[in-house]
Amino acid sequence: MTTAPVIPPEARCDGILRPGNTNCAGCGMSIGLQWLEQALDGERPTMCIPACCGIVTAGTFPTSAYGVPTVACTFASAASVATGVSSVYAMNEEDELTVCWTGDGGTYDIGVATWSAAAERNEDLLYICYDNEIYGNTGGQRSSATPQGVKTSTTTAGKLEPKKDIMALVAAHRVPYAATLSVAHRDDFMRKVKTARKMKGFRFLLMLSPCPTGWKSEPGDSVDLIDTAVRCGLFPLYEVYGGRRYRINARPDGTPLQDYIKRQRRYKSQTLDLDALQAQIRENWAHLETMARAFPAPEL
Amino acid sequence: MARELVTGNNAAGYTLALAGEANRKARGAICGAYPITPQTEIVEFLRDFKFTKGRVVAVESEHSAMGVCIGGSLAGARSFTASSSNGLSYMTENVFAAGYYRLPIVMIGVNRTLGPPWNIWTDQGDTLALRDAAWLQLYTESHQDLVDTILLAFRVSEDPRVLLPALVAEDGFVVSHTQMVVDLPEQEQVDRYLPPLDLPHRLRGKGVTVGGMIFPHDTERHRMEIQAAMDRVPQVLAEAIDEFEKIFGRRPHGTLSAEHTEDAETVLIACNTMARTLRNVVKRRRERGQKIGLIKAKLFRPFPRQDYMRAVGHAKRVGVLDRNHSPGSGGIFWTEIATSLREKPGLLLQDYLVGLGGGDVTPAILDEIVDDLNARTAASEPVWKEVLS
Amino acid sequence: MCTPRAGLKLGESMIEIAIHGRGGQGGVTLAKLIASAYFLRGQYVQAFGVYAAERSGAPIQAFVRIDDEEITNHNQILEPDHVIVLDRTLIGPRVVSGLKPGGWLILNSPEGPDAYVAQFPGRRVATVDATGIAVANGLGTRAVPIVNTTILGAVMKVLGLALPDVKGAMDEVGFGGANLSSGQQAFESVRTQQAPGKIEPTARVRVSGRVASILDRDLGGLPTIHTGDWASRQPKRHQLTPPCNDGCPAGNDVRGFVQAAAKKEFDEGLRLILQTSPLPGICGRVCPAPCMEACNRREHDEAVNVREIERYLADHARWPDVTKPKRAEQIAVIGSGPAGLSATYHLARRGYRVTLFEVGAELGGVMRTGIPSYRLPRDVLDREISFIVRHGVEVKTNQTIDRRRLLEMSHQFAAVFVATGLQESRALRLGQDAPGIAVQGIDFLDRARHGQENLIAQRVAVIGGGNTAIDAARSARRLGARSVHILYRRTRAEMPAIKEEIDEALEEGVELSELVAPLRLHEDALGPVLTCQRMRLGEPDASGRRAPVPIESEDSQFEVRCDKVILALGQTPDLSIYPEGSEVRDGLKLAGLTGAPIFAGGDFATNEGTVTAAIGSGRRAALHIHRTLTGEDLFPPAPPEVAGPDRITMHVFAHAPRERGVILPPDVRRGSFTEVRLGLLDEPGRPAATIEANRCLSCGVCNECDRCLSYCPEGIMVHRGSGNYEFDYDYCKGCGICASQCPRGVVYMAEL
Repeated sequence: MTTAPVIPPEARCDGILRPGNTNCAGCGMSIGLQWLEQALDGERPTMCIPACCGIVTAGTFPTSAYGVPTVACTFASAASVATGVSSVYAMNEEDELTVCWTGDGGTYDIGVATWSAAAERNEDLLYICYDNEIYGNTGGQRSSATPQGVKTSTTTAGKLEPKKDIMALVAAHRVPYAATLSVAHRDDFMRKVKTARKMKGFRFLLMLSPCPTGWKSEPGDSVDLIDTAVRCGLFPLYEVYGGRRYRINARPDGTPLQDYIKRQRRYKSQTLDLDALQAQIRENWAHLETMARAFPAPEL
Repeated sequence: MARELVTGNNAAGYTLALAGEANRKARGAICGAYPITPQTEIVEFLRDFKFTKGRVVAVESEHSAMGVCIGGSLAGARSFTASSSNGLSYMTENVFAAGYYRLPIVMIGVNRTLGPPWNIWTDQGDTLALRDAAWLQLYTESHQDLVDTILLAFRVSEDPRVLLPALVAEDGFVVSHTQMVVDLPEQEQVDRYLPPLDLPHRLRGKGVTVGGMIFPHDTERHRMEIQAAMDRVPQVLAEAIDEFEKIFGRRPHGTLSAEHTEDAETVLIACNTMARTLRNVVKRRRERGQKIGLIKAKLFRPFPRQDYMRAVGHAKRVGVLDRNHSPGSGGIFWTEIATSLREKPGLLLQDYLVGLGGGDVTPAILDEIVDDLNARTAASEPVWKEVLS
Repeated sequence: MCTPRAGLKLGESMIEIAIHGRGGQGGVTLAKLIASAYFLRGQYVQAFGVYAAERSGAPIQAFVRIDDEEITNHNQILEPDHVIVLDRTLIGPRVVSGLKPGGWLILNSPEGPDAYVAQFPGRRVATVDATGIAVANGLGTRAVPIVNTTILGAVMKVLGLALPDVKGAMDEVGFGGANLSSGQQAFESVRTQQAPGKIEPTARVRVSGRVASILDRDLGGLPTIHTGDWASRQPKRHQLTPPCNDGCPAGNDVRGFVQAAAKKEFDEGLRLILQTSPLPGICGRVCPAPCMEACNRREHDEAVNVREIERYLADHARWPDVTKPKRAEQIAVIGSGPAGLSATYHLARRGYRVTLFEVGAELGGVMRTGIPSYRLPRDVLDREISFIVRHGVEVKTNQTIDRRRLLEMSHQFAAVFVATGLQESRALRLGQDAPGIAVQGIDFLDRARHGQENLIAQRVAVIGGGNTAIDAARSARRLGARSVHILYRRTRAEMPAIKEEIDEALEEGVELSELVAPLRLHEDALGPVLTCQRMRLGEPDASGRRAPVPIESEDSQFEVRCDKVILALGQTPDLSIYPEGSEVRDGLKLAGLTGAPIFAGGDFATNEGTVTAAIGSGRRAALHIHRTLTGEDLFPPAPPEVAGPDRITMHVFAHAPRERGVILPPDVRRGSFTEVRLGLLDEPGRPAATIEANRCLSCGVCNECDRCLSYCPEGIMVHRGSGNYEFDYDYCKGCGICASQCPRGVVYMAEL
């Protein structure tokens, strides 16, 4: 028996991420891509995606689960390829948005020099890092985005070092806009993408991206996990304008860190130091609040 | 047409700029620029050039230089860059990517020895290491050859029958930093010679993932298509030379240049500036009545096997001069030529590794090689012809 | 060194096994486990997977080769000796493609092998509930259980190996604990069967070569893969019963009318209420609002102010036109309190001709006589009674109906409904009779409304904790009493009166003495004295409340001077209208009659004591009568499960203070019988009722918030309007985020 498709095939072709992509069930990146599309309000960006889950998502040639022009870049090259793409769009006076869509491996590790240079040149790019804190595509190895205490296939006892503060690194480039994104805070997400879209130059968005496969969590928990990460203070939602002016978008509400940790088996490690992590969160917040007080971004 | 005294790098930079500018009525020009000796003057020149529609991005690495070219090319612009030696090695991942993406990017490879140990002088090992990257490779012997070949490279690369990137090699310092008189093209000529680039698979709003995952069978087809495109290069190149002659009034070399080979019993093969020095040696020997000829190698990818078969003619001895070294094998030209001439019965094919690391190859050294070759009754493993200067 | 066995051709001793599973289930590891078991038995083995993009949930394949001699094949296995299927949803023709005759088909399924014999004729089928075992042992997640170690046990059993082989393989690969016990359970529980019939040949599907080139200009829009095949669960939607609806004795769709108000659809909101209750303006004033007691929002901040919203709708929305009787049957309703009015209304709406009998001069029963006008203004009461009566109802007032007349009626009418309410007040023996000092609360209120009470400068004691007590106390205040004192045996928390009413009474200067019971009333030279006993709370009684117990100590008794004692201890029905010994129960037909059916309802039958409960009782009576007369059952179906607070994702909702509505200040209101509460008052740009209604969480019922759709990672949900949501199961991977993000428990995941 065949039934009429719920979403007609012709409507499936133009979205950023089409149904039938190969992301795991419950992948945060998928939510991010859906929301990116919705925030862009019908605009169809060009996506530059390096080696990462995000490009495997596209499926196998000649099919593309991306319904927009997409370049599968070499691992470190998203920002350089995107520079070329956006430069040519600009010289042809085409108001096309070029998006770098990269994982934490491509952003925190191998791609640092590339995006750093693009940021320093203030290339007209919307750079979005979906950070699942792991080399997910290769089966779950540590990256410099992996938090302390997390078990990966290359930190089997739990990672010793804390997560890299990529936002600080980005801010140090004094780019026009940098912000963190949560897939549990839709309005905030939408506003930030729209804010970024309206600006010119290098705009950086960091999205904590739940990865049921790598985090060893329930796919259905993905959004709730990020919500908890924000509420317990682990993942602050904030914006940095010009690398200097801060705005905090959500503050911890007393939700215990344990609520976040206990639903992910990746945290079941001998080296997880909850007190240290909690202290780190407090320190991060003290720093963030200080910056937001001393160098506030204009009120919304 | 202006005749000027310039360095090879300035000539190359100038030609690239004119080629890029010639695409101003299409989607413009893009270049990712990063310095490395002895290539730096090319990107310096390009950074200074005022493109009507073009951008030269001063990036942070060769890897990103090629990244910018890839992105720009995919967006439809005429793309080019230049590099050397370790810079090319660092760029390698994206060099392959450009080839497999089928992007007609033109890159000047200013030949320089790969290190460490640190060596800035000429040696073709750096560009030859990229021979499997799905790029055309063209080796140039002089400033004029360089200028002309750059224009040919754009024309052939962008031809819809080819659509592969092209690397044009010039010798570091010997060409790059040497002032010589060159006939430089005019913009108007280049505009006529290089039609606007129309990349069929450029990003144009379609939901396509360029370079995403691919299954084995589709990969086979992809590689077969690249091979077919390579196979069409000699024909396209020949047409490009005819057209070149019409516009510029001179005729550059094609896949190779066979000189005095019709009746030659001994033939020597070399590329780049060494081929010019060799030409003098051959000329003097022919004046002395020796049946000697030379083949100046130009097109290395695709490797024009049939052209070598024909060019070698009835020679009994062929000597290959390789200013490069594939450790564990020998000269890289030699292995390619050996494959090309595998059906020549009774041929004595000898490889000479000469001028490695930029050693100064004098006519005297080449004479010694010719004498050695003529004295041989059988070939040996590649001969290391050390240059003690 | 191994030499081939004599008589065997090369490769003949080889066993080849194909495994079908999903990314994340551990198929490749299962291949290694099986290979390990044979390796430990001294055989040559090979285990490998088909590597591509190993996505969690995507179909994957793995293979095992076992041989007596060195294995030199390095290709995939197309014609396996045995096939293992790790995921129930993958069981289909594809998995047996190429399976050699006599080979085992080992399936992860809770069903017995007999469930598959028809699908796989001629095959040897083995099944094991590996998912059930794995989940029970905590292996993997609910969405992606890791079943490999479990199914190993079944495979070993079916292929003729022993339990030690299972343990050995696990040790070799590094598994133990739950994995080992799961494997052992599977070893013990696998079931096998030879399916009858002949093996049907299966054509192997050859994947056709693609013809696209990277240089093609028009590659966009090609079909993507059907990731719906990955899902082991699918989202579905259901409606639960909102706790407010569950709590409403009138049977109102509370959530429905509040949500209508939230959308500013006030007429629709009133229409919804009028489906079940004809007295919204009254309930919106005097209902104790069990809906608000049940409101899940109390777990978040405060209950939605349903009472005020109902009042707002009754006072502001357009009342619909009335209908007129269409049927021949005449029905008698005795008693025009809320139960009688409700029954009258529901019968009249269904076309019956109703004659309404009332003992008093005016309709309304206790709503008129017992509820002071500062709580329920007469015009509101009249408006709603008039709305009912206008449905073509014949009204007969000043009618005393006794047992004889009731029996006559049963021969004059097609049906009779008795809702005479509570006519008897509970008395309290206070020792000495004190005429003029102790009065019944209901009588006091009735006299008060007629202006027959004057309490100027008097000290009043009110005994009781219900609404009548509060009404009497507040009325006494308004009638000029010097002091008003409520004495209650339990504590304030146990008082049945509406909480807000207690608050307001106290604001108006009424005093409350908790844990005090009156013992006796007598007069001395200075006037009446009420002796009281101090109480404490003991064990819970039948009502569930803790029973008051006298404190046994010398000073546990005390005296209160008062000029008037109002008894508000509750009322009981006057059952004399029914034949002696009749059972009187809500909805129960009076037994043993020859005439038309007689039903009882309202407080007369239930003694629930609230207008709302009486409305519900009256409606049910109307439905009983209708069913008795026509055979048509209009009772609503049994409601689904109640959406308790555990079904609600509270933190999704922003905290918002309750809109309380406007209340006159205490010093204004205690001097007058004008209405104390002015309700929700809209101000320019601030529609109070809508704001308050928007605090409703719409528990258990979709209110089209679109959150499920907004959070769907696959974009496979469509909202076709009016709450008509569709899931595209062709592509849904079954992640369950829609269900987790539905804040009201509507979307849930169903196992496939």
